Order: sequence, then structure tokens, then C-alpha cells
Amino acid sequence: MHKMSSSTKNILAGIGVLMLGCIFMMPVFLIFMNAFKPNKDILTNFVAFPKSLYLNNFTEAMDTMNFWVSFKNTVIVTISTVLLSTFTSFICAFGISHLRGRISKFFYLFFVMGQIIPFHTVMIAISVLAKKAHMNNTLWGLVVLNSGFFSSFGIMTFVGFLRGVPKELEEAATLDGCGLWRTMMQVVFPLVRPTTVTVGVLFFLWSWNDFLLPSILVSEKELRTITVNLYMFKTATNAQWNLLIAGLTLSMLPIIAIYIVAQKYITSGLTAGAVKY
Amino acid sequence: MSDLLYKKYKKYYLMLILPALFLYVFSLVGPLIFGTIPSSFYDWNIIEGSRNFVGFNNYIRIFEDKNFINSIIFTTKLALFTIIGTNILAFAIALMINEKLFAKSVSRAMFFIPNIISGIMVSFVWTFIFTGAIPSVAKHLGMESIANISWFGTPNMSALAVIIVSIWQSTGFLMMLYIAGLQTIPDDVIEASKLDGCTGFKKIFYIQVPLLMPTITINLFVSIASAFKAFDIPLALTAGGPAKSTQTVALNIYNDAFGAFRSGYASAKSVILFLIVALITVIQLRITRKREVEA
Repeated sequence: MHKMSSSTKNILAGIGVLMLGCIFMMPVFLIFMNAFKPNKDILTNFVAFPKSLYLNNFTEAMDTMNFWVSFKNTVIVTISTVLLSTFTSFICAFGISHLRGRISKFFYLFFVMGQIIPFHTVMIAISVLAKKAHMNNTLWGLVVLNSGFFSSFGIMTFVGFLRGVPKELEEAATLDGCGLWRTMMQVVFPLVRPTTVTVGVLFFLWSWNDFLLPSILVSEKELRTITVNLYMFKTATNAQWNLLIAGLTLSMLPIIAIYIVAQKYITSGLTAGAVKY
Repeated sequence: MSDLLYKKYKKYYLMLILPALFLYVFSLVGPLIFGTIPSSFYDWNIIEGSRNFVGFNNYIRIFEDKNFINSIIFTTKLALFTIIGTNILAFAIALMINEKLFAKSVSRAMFFIPNIISGIMVSFVWTFIFTGAIPSVAKHLGMESIANISWFGTPNMSALAVIIVSIWQSTGFLMMLYIAGLQTIPDDVIEASKLDGCTGFKKIFYIQVPLLMPTITINLFVSIASAFKAFDIPLALTAGGPAKSTQTVALNIYNDAFGAFRSGYASAKSVILFLIVALITVIQLRITRKREVEA
């Protein structure tokens, strides 16, 4: 028997695994495909290829679901949440890792404890609080609450990494006349870049994909995020599969596009994040 | 750092903690201690505005609440099947992708993308697969019995649907963790085992699995914790139906709180959820820490 050269073997095995991957992703491909069909073609045969590129579904779905408004809201909330929660987590972790003795331990444990509190445990209290603090139907309310939920994970992760940063480096910076703020932002912050990526990527995905908090906090149409908007759109268009499928496709595209562009960071960020649990 | 400098900077260190402390207490610790826990002792309807102290009554009622007990049973089932299914599938895929392959990063992305799409969207995708694609294919192949399956009509099929979608969504993430874990196994260990005749399944079960115990620990922890918080998929896929058979604990609490507005009672339930999640986490960490093998 001939022994296959290792490169042919790699190619054949690679194609095999790629085909398995395509089968795994088939549900998403099928949705994309059906987004280009008129309603009656979807109903007669779901798995047939579209006969022509029928783009009406997209234009109609975009109008009725007010897609760009929800897209804008999601971008605003996500970017602000990532910036606010990553920054506050980092400076807090910096403070905790530089404090000594009991007080440092106390704050660390106090923040880590947040990891075991499920969101569902506080959701009723949050909905009451949001009304009292006039945060319902505001985007900043989402940003503040998200940042609060995420800080536990962020601080735990940053502290783990900051403990490994050699103190000599900071001492040298201080001797050179760097104040505390500059030492923190210009010497230490660049050193923890991998952790910042991890934390930032996770916060981005959590915030982008969140459903429960925005659905509790926001009832106004103009302030819906993509996921909540799609959920509401489904109830409104139950029988019209073509519209819902086009809306679903539109809603999935941004995050898939973001993944393709930032694949390297997302993958390394997620794995590193979980390993540090 | 010198003690003098520490004394000088100490108050600044404390100030750096403040912004995150405010956010954290405001949105998580405060609502838990001043909202959820006290509310759980009241008969409180958020719409009617009535609020009467009832002591432990809410907690006593929970044990007679068939719907809640059923939701705990369903959540446990969902957790078990999803954990087993996801971990086996993710490990198998990771083993394939760990080899040198053509177009490896594209394949990896295929398995991973479902994980970054929100649970609501993933559920809608599968709603069409169950009600559109599967019957369509089955009819073409002449398999009427499969075409006529009512995926959301019976408790068992609905449960199966929720399990399939949950596995499909979370496999990619665990696959990434397993790939990262497999890469930490040194090549010389694999080479040495090869010389000793340890290949194929033997290699997997005697070398790779034991050395991957730290990763498996993390994965079990991640899977169990997320199963007990499962909400988006059952809500968007089955809405807990038929007849509340696929209601998870989180969904049950949500329905009581925002559907029936029994806010005090739902708060008591959510304290129970908190205790369950905390208990699982502690047990899990204790058991698996002992079994880890150092690579």
C-alpha cells in the first residue's frame, strides 16, 4: 500500500473537517439563503436555492423593524460599556493589587463574590431601582448597570495579572519622576494589554448579545437594542417568514462581521478569559 | 516599594477603587441586599402596590409550588444532557482540529460562530430549522414520520429541541478551551507515548484526557453555571411550553416576576436560585481541584 504524503493527507483531512464545519453551520447558511426568497418559495421548499436574488425582504424588514436605530443603540451601549467597565475595572484592580494587608484582601474577595450572583437574582430589584433612579428607557442606564455587573469579572482578571507585574519597574518609573497616574497609565497599562483584550472582548460580547436587561429596562421603541428589537419583531410578524428571516439575517450579520475582522483577538481573549476563571 | 511611598499613595489607591465599587454596589450588591433579600419576606405585587410582611411564608410556599419544582427538575435534566453532549462533541472536534490541517482556521470559525450569536437569534434560527428545514428535507426523502414530528407540541420533543440548540450554541466555546488545553500538552509526552505503542483511543484516554483535567474542570464549571442561568434559549424557542414543561428556573422566576407580578414570591425563588448556583460552584471546585494532574 502506498503511503500518502503528509501534505495530501493534511489537505484531505482538512477538507473533511471543513465539510463537518459547514454541516455544523448549516442552520445559519439556510437562514441566509432563505432571506433571498419570497414568502411562498420559503413555504414550498425551505432547502431549495433561491431562484433569483430577491432583495425586497431586506428593504421591507429594515423599514418595519427600524434596523439602523437599533443598530446605533447597540453600538452606543456596547462601546460605552466596554470603555467604562474596562477602565474602572483596571484602575480598581490596580488599587487593590497595590494596597497591602487585610484591606486589599477584603476588597478582592468582595468583588470576586459577585461572580456567583446570577443576574436573575437581582432582576426584580433592578427593575424597581431603574424606575426610582430614572434609568428606565435610557441608554446610559444600560451602560451603568452592565458596567456594574461586569466589574467583578474584570477586577478578578486584572488583579490576577497585575500581581505578576514586577514592582521594580514601577519603582524605576517613580524614581524617574513619574507620578502615580502616569506610572499606572503609561508604564503598567501597556504591560497588561493581553488582559485588557480579554476583558474588553468579553464585555463587548456580553453587552452586544444581552437580552434580559435591555428588555426589562427599555420599553420605548426608539431605544431598543438589536436583540430586543428582533424579539419584538418576531411577535409582530409571526406569519411572514420572509420578513422575519431577513430581519434575523440582518441582526446576525454585524456580530459575524465583527468576529471575522477581530477573530484573532476574540479567540485569544475568550480562551484566556476562561482559563483564568 | 518603600513604606514611605506606600503611606503617601495609600489614599490614592483607595480612590482608584471607588468608581468600580460604586458601580458594583449600585447594580449588584445593593439590589441583592436591599432589594431581593428583604422583598423575599413580603407578599408584594408590583402592579397593585400592596406590600405586606409575611415572614418565611414565601419560602414555605416554594416547596409546594409544582411549577417551580418541575422547573428545577427540567433545569437539572437540561444541565446534564447539555454538559455531557457539549463536552463530548467539543472534545471530539478539538481533537480533529488540533492536528495539522488544511483550512484549519476556517473550520474552527465554523464551529465557533454559533457561540458569539445571541441566544435569542440562535433560537430563532433553529425555530426555522425545526419547522421549515427538517420537514422539507424529510418530505423529499419520503420520511413522513420525521416530517410530521411536532417539535414544540410535546414536552419530550420540546425538551429535546432546547437541548439540541443549547449544545449547538455552547460547543464552539468549549472546543476553543479544549484546543487551548491540548496545545499545552508537550510534544515529547505524545512522542514518548507513541514509542510505547500508545496511539489512537489509548492516546486519547490514557494521555490526553488525564492531562486535560484542568481544562475539564473549567469546562464543567462553565457548563453547570450557565445551565442554571439558562434563559434566552428556552424563552425564545419554546417560551417554556408546552404546559410549562421546558421552563428553566430562571424563566420560571421571570414569568412570576414580570408576567404575574408576584414580586415578593419571585424574589424568594431567586434567593433559592442564588443559593443553588453558589452551592454548585463550591462543590464543583472542591471535587475537581483534587483530581487535577500536573502536566
